[in-house]
Amino acid sequence: MAEDGRNFESSLPDYMSEPSGNLLELTGISKRFPGVLALDNVDFDLRHGEVHVLFGENGAGKSTLINVIAGTFSPDQGRFLYQGRERRHLTPHQARVMGISPVFQEFSLVPEMTVGENLFLGRERARFSFLNKRAMSSKAREVIAELGFNLDPARKVVTLSRAHQQMVEIAKALLTDVRLLILDEPTASLTEAETIKLFALIDRLRAQGVGIIYVSHRMGEIKQIADRISVLRDGRKIATVMADAISDTELVELMAGRKIDVLFPQVDHRPAETLLEVSNLTLASGIVRDVSFHARAGEITGIAGLVGCGKSELIRAVFGLVPIAAGTVRLFGKETTSFDPASMLRAGVCYFPSDRVAEGLALARPIRENVSMAALDLPGFARGQLLRRNEERQTVQDIVDRLRLRPAQIEPAVGRLSGGNRQKVVLGRGLARDIKVFLFDEPTVGIDVGAKLEIYELMKTLLEMGAAIILVSSELPEVLHLSNRVYVMHHAQMVAELTGAQINEQAVLACFFRDENQTAPARQAAPVPAGATVA
Amino acid sequence: MSEPAARAAGVGTGRAVAGFMARYGLIVALVVMEAGFAIVEPLVLSPGNLLNIVQQTSYIAVFATAQMVVILTRGFDLSLGTCVSTVSVAAALVMTGMVAANPANLPLALVMGVLTALGIGIAVGLFNGICISVLRVNAFVTTLGSFNICFGIATTISDGRPVFDVPKEFSELMYSGTILGVPAPVVIAIVVLIGIHLMLNWTVFGRSLCLIGGNPRAAALAGLPSRRYLTMAYVVCSVLAAIGALMLTARTGSGEPNLGGNVTLQSIAAAVIGGVSLRGGVGSAYAAALGALFVTALSNGMGLARIDGYIQQIILGCVIIAAIFVDRLRSGVR
Repeated sequence: MAEDGRNFESSLPDYMSEPSGNLLELTGISKRFPGVLALDNVDFDLRHGEVHVLFGENGAGKSTLINVIAGTFSPDQGRFLYQGRERRHLTPHQARVMGISPVFQEFSLVPEMTVGENLFLGRERARFSFLNKRAMSSKAREVIAELGFNLDPARKVVTLSRAHQQMVEIAKALLTDVRLLILDEPTASLTEAETIKLFALIDRLRAQGVGIIYVSHRMGEIKQIADRISVLRDGRKIATVMADAISDTELVELMAGRKIDVLFPQVDHRPAETLLEVSNLTLASGIVRDVSFHARAGEITGIAGLVGCGKSELIRAVFGLVPIAAGTVRLFGKETTSFDPASMLRAGVCYFPSDRVAEGLALARPIRENVSMAALDLPGFARGQLLRRNEERQTVQDIVDRLRLRPAQIEPAVGRLSGGNRQKVVLGRGLARDIKVFLFDEPTVGIDVGAKLEIYELMKTLLEMGAAIILVSSELPEVLHLSNRVYVMHHAQMVAELTGAQINEQAVLACFFRDENQTAPARQAAPVPAGATVA
Repeated sequence: MSEPAARAAGVGTGRAVAGFMARYGLIVALVVMEAGFAIVEPLVLSPGNLLNIVQQTSYIAVFATAQMVVILTRGFDLSLGTCVSTVSVAAALVMTGMVAANPANLPLALVMGVLTALGIGIAVGLFNGICISVLRVNAFVTTLGSFNICFGIATTISDGRPVFDVPKEFSELMYSGTILGVPAPVVIAIVVLIGIHLMLNWTVFGRSLCLIGGNPRAAALAGLPSRRYLTMAYVVCSVLAAIGALMLTARTGSGEPNLGGNVTLQSIAAAVIGGVSLRGGVGSAYAAALGALFVTALSNGMGLARIDGYIQQIILGCVIIAAIFVDRLRSGVR
């Protein structure tokens, strides 16, 4: 496109003359995953030459929606009109051929190949069926120069920083003839200068009539580049608004909505002695820097933050799953020296992972074995190497009854259970031995409302028994309603500790968005080289 | 089991049927197969032949059990066959050497032969286990390497020739002898199967192997000592292989440098056919024994039905692939 070198400034209002009708029109799209209705009757449209921002909390359905548009998921219901024609059973490949280019947060790059090779992955240029390396590398240089990114096409992707990998991903999306570009939090790892370049690029693409779906949490940049904003909440589209007709506060209110308070049980916090105290903790990976917090018996300590802020790595490090570079962890007043799951369990600390299939459960094994697996060193389950199977059966049956697992059987394989029941099995591990400090990592992700409530009730019971609970969650209402104190993490650091009346949505969101509002680059006219070819 | 279970799951006549076939399909297939062979050659079902099948099964059952222990942890052992060769040659050399030096030393020679076998088993197992669990080299590469190492050792120490004159008392002990009328190989196989069954069901180690194979990351989060247990799994595997090697040596009456030729493939085949999942976490001594019985009955029947030896290889290959396919179906039923 733009091969004629037309003047971009003058073509800015050009999209008005694009073929009439919307580029993309979705009507009544629904998508169900086991146990979750991820998209519920969502309408969405995208015009030519428009930046349409998707806004919402984690789990609101943004990712599912862009995955439907990119052809990764096939919707269960609804109409999918693209360029005026209905498309069914779209595959990611077909979507790309039609000009839909997604840039996801999870990169699709091959680490051991060079930047140039990655750009042409799957669409290599060949002459006499040999790879035309020279043509590809000069084209790669051209595209990168055009984007204004500081990238060497000959470098291996594995040696690049996340920000640079993000640039490669964007360059890759622009290599073909793009009609619809999807950007999923593209600035999450970019510096300010790089962000300015990206926005200039977005402006140029918009001028060329490309429709852009832009997912972001950052208030500053949303206001800066959006034409329209659609707000999603709990899989439903709440509203589509013109970006210049809405204030930040209104937008946040739309996003948060009025939550059903009855969902959360009334938790009595009776803070007692400090069980866990983390001081100036820095991780080897740098994803957590100089973080201090403490947790007391008898209260829920919430840690809120956006995805990727380091909140999950923080408690994983305490449990010994991620290497620590500096800082101290004190448990029950004593400084901890051995960080590994076995020592932590013996000390009375248990971590409950967010990804239960990957890290929590042996799906092919019975419920009984999954519940007792972290307690096989205890005399209640084994005498030395010899398992006490009768005692085990009895204890696990009691735990399963207490957790109200349905059906309350202990022998079926865990793989047969629903998401909520699987989580109960993982939590059962915390009841199989004397655990004093519970580290919950996204405890209710992917489970239905009924099971959520039961897990909240379980937390309440644990508190009454004198446990300290640390609740890490991306689901803000959960943290706000259940916690006695809330820490807010942002960009690897602890930015606030909220107590009492300070614990409210606005206060937490303010911590998330504060720095973006201050540092967001001003929108500027894009300096465009003449004869620019992006495609 | 392969054919009927596949059909049952495919037609979708209901989870109950599929579930039944997943559990008992192999026994049904075994009965159908024997009936089929019996039509061609009635001798297949003669008491003499059935006893023969049971005797033959005891060898493969020991090897399949060895293989099952490591497949359970998402691994496998390609070196099992050449480990068998090494053990056979080394034990035969020790026994013949000691008896040649002083015939009065016979009992001590037998003991030293067995200890040599177990020692080699432990050494090979430690080597495989440490490479896999501590150095994190994958099981395929590690055991392919030790396959070659063992092959080299077996050939070198024997000069590539069989070691004859293994004391006939040894063969009486582990081959022709009986205990309460039961042939020695069958007794040994039953002891091995019961021992491994108890290990898997009644020890923390055995339980941990199932969990590590079921989900290694979950096992790590639960604080299980994965490295140590994984290494021990390979030691158990190789020690069982050594026991099987002694049984085979007793049968042939000589130490054979290429004794283990088919054993690796046969043992994996028997374990998988028996229902041990290559994805880890699912397996039992019962499955290994049943798979061994099936493989033995298949080759026995094909032999009596005068099917050409090379055709037999083709059929065994197809059955293995079918078994892995059924394992995939079964994971859907489960």
